[in-house]
Amino acid sequence: MTLNVDPVALRHAYVARVSRRYGVIAAVFGLLCLSFLLDITTGPGGYSLSTVAEVLFDPMSHGARLKVIVWDYRLPVAVTAVLVGALLAVAGAQMQTILNNPLAEPFTLGVSAAASFGASLAIVLGISVIPAVGPLLVTVNAFVFALCTCGFILLATRLKGVGSETMILFGIAIFFTFSALLALMQYMASEDQIARIVFWMMGSLSRASWEKIGLGTILLCFAIPFSLYRTWPMTALRMGEATAQSMGVDVGRLRVEMLICISLLAATAVSFVGTVGFVGLVGPHIARMLVGEDQRYFVPLSALVGALVLSLTSLISKTITPGIIYPIGIITSLIGVPIFISIILSSRRERLQ
Amino acid sequence: MTLTIANLSAGYGRTNVLQDVTVSNIPPGAFVGLIGPNAAGKSTLFKTIAGLITPTKGTLTIAGEDVTQLGRKDRAKRVAYMPQAYGCNALLSVFESVLLALKQTTGWRVNNDNLDRVSDTLHALGLSHLANRGVADLSGGQAQMVAVAQTIVRAPDVILLDEPTSALDLHHQLSILTSVRNEMDRKKPVVMAALHDLNLAAKFCDRLVLLRDGAILADGKPEHILALPQIEETYRVLTDLERTQRNVLYVDARLAHQGTAGPTHH
Repeated sequence: MTLNVDPVALRHAYVARVSRRYGVIAAVFGLLCLSFLLDITTGPGGYSLSTVAEVLFDPMSHGARLKVIVWDYRLPVAVTAVLVGALLAVAGAQMQTILNNPLAEPFTLGVSAAASFGASLAIVLGISVIPAVGPLLVTVNAFVFALCTCGFILLATRLKGVGSETMILFGIAIFFTFSALLALMQYMASEDQIARIVFWMMGSLSRASWEKIGLGTILLCFAIPFSLYRTWPMTALRMGEATAQSMGVDVGRLRVEMLICISLLAATAVSFVGTVGFVGLVGPHIARMLVGEDQRYFVPLSALVGALVLSLTSLISKTITPGIIYPIGIITSLIGVPIFISIILSSRRERLQ
Repeated sequence: MTLTIANLSAGYGRTNVLQDVTVSNIPPGAFVGLIGPNAAGKSTLFKTIAGLITPTKGTLTIAGEDVTQLGRKDRAKRVAYMPQAYGCNALLSVFESVLLALKQTTGWRVNNDNLDRVSDTLHALGLSHLANRGVADLSGGQAQMVAVAQTIVRAPDVILLDEPTSALDLHHQLSILTSVRNEMDRKKPVVMAALHDLNLAAKFCDRLVLLRDGAILADGKPEHILALPQIEETYRVLTDLERTQRNVLYVDARLAHQGTAGPTHH
């Protein structure tokens, strides 16, 4: 109790901790680059890393066939994996802070289920919620339903007596409602349509396209700086609502702002690749263990870890059985569930690094 | 800087809690104890001064300037309010949580000056050894000290402490209030603290305000306030005889409840 370190030493200890965090962020970024390169290199055809790298820098260097494989097929998939991983993880990280619940993420709150229903509505009945979207019908429907669900969650948080535990129960209710509606759709669907619905729900990167990548990148370029701009109020919110308010945070407004931002991220990610569960849980969870909850490091690292997880998943999906690409949604769930359970079991006694 | 609360009325929704509260001319460096029974409106008064509740009537001035017009952040910079303690499970170090309190009310970037201020505050309050500890791993008393540090680090004009000693043993109650007093001698903020323990209030405060049912019953020097008949009436200090009688009644009631005649065996 009497051991009182002098102030200069305190400052140095903090500075050292911050540089360690930058080190962690740099290391994860390095791993992500590595995983990204491996992801492009891996796949049917068995081209070497150097060949693929040459095609990346000079598309026509190894002929038109390889250009198509690398630029039109592998690169969009690899980039989408990174992008969607980052989108889902940032959405999860912010949801967990805003709702003060470590289990909150787009999947557990039923956003993915709502998107699946939206997609099935388009596939089976050809109904579009927004007219004249053409080939993007399925994606747009999924997006709108995901966004509406986020809106519902936003309204629910403003109800009196809705605590952070209640939010997850809301998520379960949303999940079951849309599962039932989805079953109804499947009952009405033809065999071909059922196959499409099921494939959509499994979550796949094969729907990647450069247009979607462009849109996702724009969103991420908006969301991360915005999160960083709101870093102090968000960190204050982690100290509890009363404390945040006493520090001058308009908690109500912050929640609305962040939930709108999160809704766009989650809805976009889910409508691009279908149901990919638990990335929004695993990314922030690992980031939190590595750098704690100062949002200046937590949010960017969550994005990087999420991207890394999905990039590795993409890699795994190709390498389990050569020649077959498994839907990533199946793999993320298999990896995510043990982590989900470990979060429930751990009594939140995580240690600061 | 001098704090003046004039004719302040406030409440939640339609229920009015505070009625015409006036505490005038609290000079810089004064330690004002706010005493009164539970639900007297102490927390409401603090929240209103801190700007978390908008008053229906009245003014609040610091050095003659009306602070009710200030934005939330500027208000939090001038008036630092420590809410009653609740646990938190954030993965933040004590140093980070105090830095947070400073940065939330000042600019975005962390500079060396900020780090020095946090270090000095922790040092002055004797919390240096906890700097790298997680806030979720603190004992009740340590958490309360850190909460006090979060108010002091902002170097505000007014510090409001809502039951700063509620979770503490006597030793820590004394040490927390002594630390606050020492800090006050350096920076001269006005400190208002809601206190339950009248002995502590008498020892540390320059002035006591007795609040009951949302109105001010008395306001003055501790020796004067504590001698008032209203104090005894408010706190209903039990005499030894009354206490004994109450215990007897309690034991009787328990026996009757259990339906046994003899004393229970453990």
